[in-house]
Parts: sequence; structure tokens; C-alpha cells
Amino acid sequence: MSNTQVLQSKEQTLFRHVVQNYESKQYKKGLKAAEQILRKYPNHGDTQAMKALILSSQGKSEEAFELCKVALKNAMKSQVCWHVYGLLYRGQRNYEEALKAYRFALRLDPESTQIQRDLAMLQVQMRDYDGYLQSRRTMLQARPQNRQNWTALAIALQMSGDLAGAEDVLQKYEESMRQTPSRGDMEHAEAVLYKNTIIAERGEMERALEHVDSVAKMALDKTAVMEMRAQYLLALGRKEEAVEAYTKLLRRNAEHREYYEGLEKAMGLDRSKTEDHQKLGEMYHSWGVQSDRVDAPRRLPLDFKTSDAFRQHADKYLRRMLKKGVPSTFANLKQLYSDPEKKETIRELVEGYISEQPHTNGGAERSEPNGSADDSHSTTSKPHDSATTWELSLNYFLAQHYDYHLSRDLAKARKYIDRAIELKPSETDYTYHMTRARVLKHAGNVAEASKAMNEAREMDLKDRYINTKCAKYQLRNNQHDDAVATMGLFTRKEAVGGPLGDLLDMQCVWFITEDGEAYLRQGNLGLALKRFKAVFDVFGTWEDDQFDFHSFSLRKGMPLLAKGGGVNGEGAEGAAERKKAAKKAKREAEKAEAERKAAAAKKASPAKKNEDGEVKKEDADPLGAELLKAAGESPLEEAMKWVGPLLEMSPRNVEGQIAGFEVYIRRKKYLPALKCLLAISSIDPEHPKCHEQGCRLRLALEKLDEPLPEKARQVVDSKFLRITASKGSIEEENEEYLAKHKASALHVQGVVRVRHALHPDGSGEVKEKSAKDLQHTLDSGSTTLVQAEEGLLVLSEVVEADGKAKEAYVAKARERWPEATVFQ
Amino acid sequence: MDIRVLRPSDIPHVQQTNITNLPENYFCKYYLYHALSWPQLSYVAVDVSRPKKTPYDAPKIVGYVLAKMEEDPADGVQHGHITSLSVMRTHRRLGLAEKLMRQSQRAMFETYGAVYVSLHVRVSNIAALALYRDTLGFKVGGTEAKYYADGEDAFSMRMDLDYLRNEALDEESDEEDGVEKDEGGEVGSAGKAGDGVDGARKKERKRKVRVGRQLGVGELVERNESSVPELTNGTA
Ligand SMILES: CC(C)(COP(=O)(O)OP(=O)(O)OC[C@H]1O[C@@H](n2cnc3c(N)ncnc32)[C@H](O)[C@@H]1OP(=O)(O)O)[C@@H](O)C(=O)NCCC(=O)NCCS
Repeated sequence: MSNTQVLQSKEQTLFRHVVQNYESKQYKKGLKAAEQILRKYPNHGDTQAMKALILSSQGKSEEAFELCKVALKNAMKSQVCWHVYGLLYRGQRNYEEALKAYRFALRLDPESTQIQRDLAMLQVQMRDYDGYLQSRRTMLQARPQNRQNWTALAIALQMSGDLAGAEDVLQKYEESMRQTPSRGDMEHAEAVLYKNTIIAERGEMERALEHVDSVAKMALDKTAVMEMRAQYLLALGRKEEAVEAYTKLLRRNAEHREYYEGLEKAMGLDRSKTEDHQKLGEMYHSWGVQSDRVDAPRRLPLDFKTSDAFRQHADKYLRRMLKKGVPSTFANLKQLYSDPEKKETIRELVEGYISEQPHTNGGAERSEPNGSADDSHSTTSKPHDSATTWELSLNYFLAQHYDYHLSRDLAKARKYIDRAIELKPSETDYTYHMTRARVLKHAGNVAEASKAMNEAREMDLKDRYINTKCAKYQLRNNQHDDAVATMGLFTRKEAVGGPLGDLLDMQCVWFITEDGEAYLRQGNLGLALKRFKAVFDVFGTWEDDQFDFHSFSLRKGMPLLAKGGGVNGEGAEGAAERKKAAKKAKREAEKAEAERKAAAAKKASPAKKNEDGEVKKEDADPLGAELLKAAGESPLEEAMKWVGPLLEMSPRNVEGQIAGFEVYIRRKKYLPALKCLLAISSIDPEHPKCHEQGCRLRLALEKLDEPLPEKARQVVDSKFLRITASKGSIEEENEEYLAKHKASALHVQGVVRVRHALHPDGSGEVKEKSAKDLQHTLDSGSTTLVQAEEGLLVLSEVVEADGKAKEAYVAKARERWPEATVFQ
Repeated sequence: MDIRVLRPSDIPHVQQTNITNLPENYFCKYYLYHALSWPQLSYVAVDVSRPKKTPYDAPKIVGYVLAKMEEDPADGVQHGHITSLSVMRTHRRLGLAEKLMRQSQRAMFETYGAVYVSLHVRVSNIAALALYRDTLGFKVGGTEAKYYADGEDAFSMRMDLDYLRNEALDEESDEEDGVEKDEGGEVGSAGKAGDGVDGARKKERKRKVRVGRQLGVGELVERNESSVPELTNGTA
């Protein structure tokens, strides 16, 4: 057993072919060549490893692992085998094991840049910045002639927090350059700007400014240079120059908010100071009058103006937009609704317009044809006069106003949207029908909403946007097949697995998610899990794509073979790496393009084939049954795989913390559960889950099977129990909380959940009380349809109320949401 | 609506906008390829007015232009190409597409010396044709039969970027005026620079490493955050 199995020259050539075939994704050929070698040398580890690598690329990862282990047995000391082993683990996202394998491979072949590079990439991915730094140092030492290695080391230093070191490295390279790079040398131009960002990050604005000025002439990214300059001037308090710099930027792009913010600061103006409003107003006005087509300077003053000034400005803005018939006017203003006074003012203004005579709307001249409509593909729409445009705009705006959750009155919304539709804008302009569907959805009538959206879709069959909306509404109504058929009108015909296959392929995340949620709603856990897993995998692919892109050549290149198999000379890397990466992506892109063209030429075969002529496999588990079975073996551990990354990547996401708590408490992991709980209350102390999950944790701690380890007990005591101790018993705490939060449905639902955790097989009396509490929430004006739906769920699943109690709840809810499908 | 250059972290959201609006869709990698090879050329329109729900809220991309340089131009003339352009229905007719195109065109000219920009458009796409021809000034160069997967023909269109040369000259002469002015004010502001430093010393410097501009690491190496941006789904 060693790695000294020497192949004869014929087999050596064959081995090179295996590698080449692998690199060019000719897997079938590669396998064939590998088999041929193995017939003569059945225990040749390197060949087995290569075969394993090809197998894994074909999706046969179990088989690949098996074979690679055999290969390792045959050639313990082969860096090829270890490298492949690492790549296989890497493919499974088992980064720890991959790291170990790479390290082993590197020990066997310390000179291999390929292994070194794979290792480095993995370190970045695992956020091991010290390790990465070390790797980059080694790589630079091995190949100092390469600019990319210098830049990469600077990046590593920057990531590890050593900015001075980073700048120094970049500086050294510049000094070592023998000739001045030509104008148009993109790599140099970018590296120079990169150095500038480092200087700025060090806080040395003066020097950063000097530097950026000194390179401005030869920099190619003019916008970036101008932005940097403006920032530095501002930071240095050189206000006049900063004003000028931002003015120049705004002349190039008058819709970029950051530039206005910069300009405000440079002018010493502060939105929170009323005395500055006059000047701010003038400043924005001066930008607004420069072009009829610019929006930002007109819209922005609405953010800071108040009371009468706001009213006047809003009046002007609204009239202008509504007269023009800009369909996104409401979308552009709704942010202001978080201020109740502004919300009221806007409503008053627009309702006021309704009662005006059509001719007084700020001088109605004939507006342009199609002013309000977006008839992307229509030739049949009739141009309408300005009075109609105006009326249409008003009704459309008010429909959206009354549909919006902060100003909801669905009856009014319905009235206005129906009026807009009566005005018959055009045959193909579905905008108003689409909004009608939306209003129906908000009324809870998912079936009618889906029907209405389909009608809207039928008005413009060539428009994918409305097609998308329609499919979404169909999913909300659990019409899976219809939704797939709808989407199928725009997916590639030749895709494997039909429209759904294409949507998965094309990473259409919204569809997969909605589809999964619909299955979950219907209790179809297998398919729900399958869809969610698909989404999860898309995220994984995205992440991989980003890393691959950096190190394309590595992954495809099976690069260590440079030595092992002697395929690639120890050739150029560095700058070439980027080019290769781009080329590779381009090839892929071109392939996609070619496929598209081929399809257009109707030459495409029905199933998608890869270059090797292999038909992509059909899904072996279309219903997710296998998946569910596998997950069901240890569901809580499986759940951790999902919740773990969520907690790690987005700790300030309250929903993630709530889910984390639920998983941890079921696993009896009380410390992490407490950690989630504390996170929730730091994100939102008023969140109803603070109370509910807090009480449930208390309960769990009171009923421990065995005492917590001493350390854990101390933490729990000081961070949690000491505080809850003052609140009386859980029961008391819970009822007190109820008294305080009677008006909030979500809080009451939390109380009920706690109550039934305390009384798992609650008596009739307890159930009755809970049913009554839940029913009360339906009286509260603030309760939303979604919350009422949740209440019903709590009533049946937590309280396990009898039919009568449920009926009473539903009847009462129906009074309030007469059309809601869930209460029928 | 904010118009700004596309960042790598926008890509998943641009991808979703694209698949919502158009039948021609691409893998994430293809977007990355654009964003990393020509980071100056692609722009997005972002609805910045949406109230934030979590610190990880994805930017609401309501429009984008995905653009590149032709790598081996057959005619030997440096030129740009529009790969994809779309604006959400709810945000059309606001001038977004026009503004996105203009930003991209200028960057092609300034950064890569593009002489012209080319694109393809469905012969039936009235809105896009009006935008390209009437608003922006493109000209139809010819028709490509059955260019699209469903068999529809495409017009190939192009537009010279000459006009930007004049614009640049204007700006330069502006700049020269500016320099004179700056020098005039320098003595006075030099004193101010000393006490104005507080602006320069931003305390909470984010540990976000903006690297490599073109190196391909992009936003991946942010320290404490996911390298894959959060993605929220459609809202309607
Ligand atoms: C084509 C598209 C990108 C235009 O986006 P947009 O942001 O609405 O366009 P703009 O507001 O910038 O329009 C600028 C000008 O283009 C022309 N235009 C845009 N839409 C038009 C329409 N529906 N009908 C006629 N002209 C139109 C007008 O001249 C308009 O100026 P005006 O509003 O002052 O009259 C958009 O309709 C879209 O995304 N369509 C679906 C995707 C698509 O077809 N992409 C193009 C693929 S090549």
C-alpha cells in the first residue's frame, strides 16, 4: 500500500485523459478511461479517486465516497486521493472534514498550489481568517511574481483587521512594478482604488483624498472616484468642496439618495431641525426644476416636511403624479403612512380631488395617450383624455389607500377599484383588475381572489408579471396544478420535469416557497419539506457559486493533478485565475444561450441532456415521502440543521429565534433555549413570545427530570429565574399578563398556550375559559384576519376545544370577515 | 426609488425580478459573471421606501439593467451589450428603465471606452421598442429570425455613444472652473479642516470588508453576516 504505484506510459496517458475528461465534464468518457486503467491496475488509488470524483459529479455521492475510501486504502500517501476526499466532503458541505483532508493532502505535497488554493477558499468560507491569512502568505511566497497573490494577501490582512499591513502589501507591489501600467489596465486601475479604500478605512481621510486625487486621471471607474472624493471631503469637513462634489454626482444621477444625503450634510442642513426646512426645501426645489423626468427631489421633501408645509407639498406632488397617471404613486408614498398625520392628510387631499370638478385639476390639458396605462404589448388600447386619466388615478389611488393595512377599509377599497374598472382603461391594462384581486385576498376570500387574478392574467397573455401574480394567488388557494400550468406558459418547454423542473432549475425561490407553504397548510408534510429543502439548497448553491467564482479553476480543475497526473503545467494562476473564472462562467452562459437557441430552432430533444448525452434523471422521490421518512427518524436533530444556520446568520431575526426556542426546548437544551428567549426580548421586549416562551421555559425548569449541571444552573439562575421569581407562580404570572394584554389577539393566544402547557389535559373549565378568552379577541378592533386565523388554530390544536366552541368562534369571526374562506 | 450600481448582494433579488418579468432567465452564476467582470455596468432601481422588518431585509429591487462588454467583438470595435432589462409592472412608466439605461451607457463609455451599445428586443415589444428608439435613440440594425425560444424574431438594435464624449468635454471644462474655485477657497478652509475632524472619525466602523472590487470576493467575505443575502419573497 503506497502511492508508488507507477503506471506504464500508456496508462499514464489514459490517466491524463481521465483528468481532462473530468475537467471538461465528459464524464462518460472519463469513466471509460478510468475503467480501462483499473482493468490493468485494479488497485490504482489515484485512478479510483478520479473515478470517485467523476461519480460525485454525476450525483452519485455515496458510491463516490465508498470508492474514495477504497482508493485511500490503496494509496494512503497519495495527495490525489486525499485531495479528492476533501473535495467530496466539500461537496457535501462538511467543511470540517474537508479541511482535514486538504491539510493531509498538503502535508503530502506541500508545493501544490492547487491544494493550497482549495484550502484557502475553504478557510474563507469557514470564516477562518487567520488560517486564510497564513495560506495567502504561503501562496505569495511561492509565487511573488503574480499580482493577484499580493492583492489576495492584502485582502486577507484586511479581513483579519490589519489594515496597515494590507496597505503595506499593496504598496510594496506597486513599488516593485518595473514599468508603469498602461492606461486601460483594468486590474491595475482596480487595485489602485482598492488601496484607496484601505487608506480610507484606516480613517486617514486626508491621505485618502490626496491619493484619490493623484490617481483620478488614470482611474477607469469615474463614478467610484467621484464618490470617494465626495465622501472624503465631507468627512474632512471641507464643506464647500463637498457641496461641489455631490452636485457633480447628482448631475450624473439625480435619483440616488446617498448623493442627496451627502449634499445635505455638506450644506450643513439637518432634517430634524425645523429651521433648516426652508433651505432644504429650496435645495430640493432647485434639483426638481432641472428636469421634468426626475422624481427623487420632488418626493424626498415629503419625508421631512410637516403640517402645513407637508400638506402643500403633498398637494403639488399628488396632483402632478395623478395627472400624469403614474401607477406607482401609492407605492411611492405609503412609507409616509407610519406617520398618522401624514396618512390623514394624504387621504383628505385625494378624497378632496374626487369632489372637485374634473376641470379644476390643476389645469387639465390633453395628456399623452396611454398616460396611465402600461400596455406593454398592446396596440388596441384607446388613448384616453386627461379627465379620464385623472379620475382613474384618483380611484386607483384610493383603492390602494383603503387596501393598505395601515388604512384598511376593504368595502371602500372595493368601491374605488370597481369604479376604476368601470372607467374601462383599456382592454389589456390589467392593473385595476389585479388590485381588485388583491382586495379580495385581503378580505380572506382566497378562491375569489385567485379567480379574479386569473381574469386579470387573461387580459394580457404575453405579460409574465401578471402570469406570476396569478400563479401566486392560485397557490394561496392551494391550486397546485393550476399554478404549475400557469407558470408553464412561460417556462422553457424542453425542461426536464416540466414547468416545476424548470422553476427549480432557474432557482425561482418565491414559487418553491409558496408551493411548500401551501402543502404545509394542507398538512402534506412530505411535499412541504421537499419544497423547503429545495429552497434551502438554492441558498447553498448561491453560496457555492460565489466561492466557485473566486476559485473556478480550482474546482473544475482538480488542480492538484498538476503534479500528481502531470496534466497542467505549474502554470500561470493569479490573474489568469480570474480570467478563467470569467471564461468558465461565460462558457456556461453561452451554453445556456445555445440551448435556448437550439430550442428555438426546434432541434432540441425533449429531455435535457448534458454534454455526455446522459439524460437527466427523473426525480426518484417526487412526493417527498422518502425525505420525510428520513427526517422523521430524528426530527429534532434534522430541525437543528435548518434552525442552526438561521440563528448563526441572522441572529436579529425574531422569527428565527422563536423557531430556535421551539426546537431547543423540545430537545431539553435549556441554555440555548434561554439564549433564544433573551434574544427575542432584546429584539422586541413587547413580543408576545417573550411571555409565552418564558413561562414555558420556567415550567420546564420546574419539572426537570434531573438537575442541571452546576454551571448551567448558575447561568439560568442569574439570567432568568432570579427575574421571574418576583412574578409569583407561573399561573399567576400568566393571568396577570392576560389582564394587561386583553386587547391583543397574539398576546391572548400566548396566554392560552401557557395555560394549556400548565394543564396539559385541561378540564372542561379550563377549556371553556380559553375558548372565551380567544373569542374575546375577535371584538378587538386591532385584530387582523391572519391573527384570527391563528386563534382558530390555537383553539383547535392547543385547547382542543369541542365542536361547539369552535363553531361559536367561527360564527363570530364570520360576522367580521364574512368572505374569509377559512371561516366558511 | 433609488437608482444605483448593482452590488453582488443584490443578485438573488435581481434574479427573482427577472424571472417575474421575463421569460429569458439565467442562473445566479451568469449574474455573478456580469457583476464581477464589469462591476460598473449593471444598475438597479430599489424601492427604498419600504419599512424595514428585520435588519436583514432584502433590498426591494423593482428594476434592473444587466449589461456587459462584448469580449471579442466581431467588428473589432469596443462595445457594450444589454443582456437584460426589466421593471416591475407596479413601477413602470416612472422613467426607471430610461434612467437605468443611461447610467449603464455612461459607464460603458467611461470605463471601457465603448463606442456603441447593442441589444436585442422582441419585434412585438412595443414598450421596449418605444423606450429604445424614441426615448434613448437606438436604431434598428436588422432582424434575427427566431431569436427567442418561442420562435419570435428579434430586432437587433444599437446606439452610438458619441454623445457622451461631448458630455465629458462639458464636464471637464466645468471641472477646470471648479479647480480654480477650489484653490481660491483653500486657505480659508484649511483652518476648518482641523476642527472638522469629528466627521472624519466615524466611530462605529462596520467590519464589512469591501474588497477586491473586481476580484470576485465581493460581499462574500463580510465578517459577521451571511454571505448569501436574505431573501424575502413576494409580498402582494
Ligand atoms: C420595457 C420596460 C423595461 C420599460 O420600463 P419603464 O421603466 O416603464 O420605462 P420608462 O418609464 O423609463 O419609459 C421611458 C419611455 O419609454 C417609452 N415607453 C415605456 N413604456 C411604454 C409603453 N408601455 N408604451 C409606449 N411607450 C412606452 C415611453 O416613451 C417612455 O417615456 P414616457 O413615459 O415619458 O412616455 C418595461 O415595460 C418592462 O419591464 N417590460 C417587461 C420586460 C421587457 O420587455 N424588457 C425589455 C426586454 S428587451
